[in-house]
Amino acid sequence: MKTIHWIILGIIFVITLVLEFTVLAGYDSHWWNAIPAFYAIFGFVICYALVYSAKFIAKKIVNRDINYYD
Amino acid sequence: MIEFITIPGVLLILGAAVISFFSEKIRPALFLVFPVIAAVVILTRPEGYTVTGSLLNYDLVLMQTDALSNLFGIVFALGALLAGIYAFHMKELGQQISALTYAGGALGVVYAGDLLTLIIYWEIMALASTWLIWARRTPETDASGMRYLIYHILGGGLLFAGILWHSVVEGSIAVESIPMEYTPANILMLLGVAVNTAIIPLHTWLSDAYPKATQTGTIFMSIFTTKTAVYVLIRMFAGWELLIFLGAAMAVYGIYYAVICKDMREILSYHIISQVGYMVCAVGIGTDLALNGAAAHAYNNILYKSLMFMAVTAVMYSAGSSKMFHLGGLYKKLPWVLGLYVVGGLSISGIPLFAGFISKGMVIDAAGYGGYETIMLVLLVASVGTWLSVGLKLPYFTWFDKEDYTGELKPIPVNMYIAMGILAFACIFYGVFPNALYTFLPFETGYEPYTVYHIVEILQIVLLTFVAFWFLRKKLAPELTTVLDLDWFYRKAAPAVRRVFVFKVDKFYDNVEDAILATARFLSKKFKNPMLWLNPFTDKKNEASRYSPSMEVVMSFIILSFLVFAIVYFI
Repeated sequence: MKTIHWIILGIIFVITLVLEFTVLAGYDSHWWNAIPAFYAIFGFVICYALVYSAKFIAKKIVNRDINYYD
Repeated sequence: MIEFITIPGVLLILGAAVISFFSEKIRPALFLVFPVIAAVVILTRPEGYTVTGSLLNYDLVLMQTDALSNLFGIVFALGALLAGIYAFHMKELGQQISALTYAGGALGVVYAGDLLTLIIYWEIMALASTWLIWARRTPETDASGMRYLIYHILGGGLLFAGILWHSVVEGSIAVESIPMEYTPANILMLLGVAVNTAIIPLHTWLSDAYPKATQTGTIFMSIFTTKTAVYVLIRMFAGWELLIFLGAAMAVYGIYYAVICKDMREILSYHIISQVGYMVCAVGIGTDLALNGAAAHAYNNILYKSLMFMAVTAVMYSAGSSKMFHLGGLYKKLPWVLGLYVVGGLSISGIPLFAGFISKGMVIDAAGYGGYETIMLVLLVASVGTWLSVGLKLPYFTWFDKEDYTGELKPIPVNMYIAMGILAFACIFYGVFPNALYTFLPFETGYEPYTVYHIVEILQIVLLTFVAFWFLRKKLAPELTTVLDLDWFYRKAAPAVRRVFVFKVDKFYDNVEDAILATARFLSKKFKNPMLWLNPFTDKKNEASRYSPSMEVVMSFIILSFLVFAIVYFI
C-alpha cells in the first residue's frame, strides 16, 4: 500500500461521511442510524472481533497438525 | 416423445450418454452443446408449459415452468456451459459424463412438478457428483467421496421418506408450498433438503468433499447441489421461521471457518455455507422481497462463486497447490487470474457496480424491514467476514505478501480464461444493469439497489474493514494445519463408533450363534437315544429303534398324559 492508495481510500471515506451527514441526515429506518458513522465503526470493530475470536477458536479448538486425519 | 427428450434434465442426462460414444477430441465440444440446447428450450417454452406422464397410480408432472424455475434453469444451463468451457482441456470421460449427468439432475429438480420426479433427479445428482470426488483416485478422496455419498444417501432417504409420508397424509405429490407445521412428514422432508442445503450441523459433507474433489469437479459442485436445495426451499418451505435463524447461523459459521482456513478451496467451500446461509435466511423471512432476494442471490452466487473457484483452481493448476502456505507473490506471474478473482471478490462482498450488490442488499433489507433487525446485523457481520476472508485474506496471501513467487508455474489453458472472462463480464453487467436480473425475478417488488444509503453503508463497512485487515494481516498468515469441524465426530470417532456398533454387535451375534450351536449339539446328543435318560432303569446299551418293555412303559405314559391333557383342555 502506497501513500497514494491510502489517500484515495481516505477521500472515498470522507465522501461517504459527507453524504451521511447531508443527504442521509434525516434518514431513520433502523435504531442504529442515530449513531454517526455507524457502518464504519461496525466494519472496523467487527473485523477486529472476527480476527481475534477466529484466532482464539483456531488455537484452542479446531487447529490440528496437517496430517491429523491420516 | 420430443416433449420428453427436450425436458432440460432428460436432455443433459441423454447428452451424457451420447458423449460417451465420441472420441476425446470431440467430447469437450459436444459437452457444451447440451447446456446450450437446454438453455434454448428453457427460453422458448412459454411460462406454465407442462409435460405430464404417469407411473403406477401416480400422475407425474415431468416438467413445469414458471418464473422461479426458469431463473434457476437458465443459470444452471449457463453454469454447466461455462464450467464445461473451463474444463475443456480435461479429457477424462468419467468426469465429463458425471458432470453432465449431475447438471441434468439439477435441471431436472428445478423443473420437476411433482415430488417423485424430484426425488429421482435428486438421487441422480448425489450419485453423479460423487464421481467428481472419486475421480482423483487417492485414498483420501476415496474415503471423502464415500462419506459424501453416505451423507447424501441419508439425506435422499429422509426426503423420500418424507415424500411418501406426505403423499399418504395429504394425498398430493405436487411440489408446492407447505404450511409451517412440524408434522413428521414435513420434518423428514425438511431434513432431507437441509442436508443438501448444508444447513449446520448437516454441512460437513460440503467442507469435507469440495476441497478434495477434482479441480474441474469442484466448479460443477459449487454450482449445483446447494443452489438446487435452495430452490426447493423457496418452493416448499418459504416463510418457515426456523430457517431465518439457521440461515443466520450458517452465514456466521461459514465466515469463521473462512477466516480460520488456510487452503484456498477450503476457504471458498466454507464460504458457500455462509452465502447459502443468506439465502436460507431469506427463505425463512418469506416476504416477496426476501424470496426475490434468495433467488437473485442464488443466481448471482453461481456467477461469482464459480468465477472465484475457477480463479483459485487456475492458480492450483498452475502452481500445483491450493494451500496459501505454498503460494504468495503471484501478482507478477498471474496478474489476469488476480484481476478475474478480484471481480468475483468484489461481487461477493457486495461492492457497488458488481453483481453481489444488487442481491445481497435485498436479503439484508428484507431482514431489516421484515422486523428482524438483529438478524440484519448478524448478516452484516457475515458481510464483514466475507470481505475479510475471500475479498482480502485469500487474494492477499495468494498474490501478494511475498515479493515474488519462485516456484515453477504451468501455463494456464486459454479455455479457463475464456470461462472466467465471461463470468467476470456477467458479474459486472448485472452490477451495472440490475434490471436485467430483476425483470426475471418471481415477484414484483420495485426494489432499488442504488440508493445513497446502500452505497454509504457498504462503502463505510468495506473501507474500515480493509483498514482493520491491514493492521491485523500478519495474524492471518497462512500455515499448514488441519481444521476440525463437526465431521470429527464421524471421522475421528469412527473407531469408537465401529467398536460399539460393529464389533459389539458382531460379538453379540457370535455369542448367540455359539449358544444356538451348543444347544443343538446338546439336544441331538441327548435325543439320539432318549431312553438313556427317560428311563433310568433301562439297560444302558438299549437302542431307540429296538422294542423293549421299558420303552412300552414310557410310550404308554406319554400317550396317557397326552390324553389326560387333551380331555382337561377341551372340557
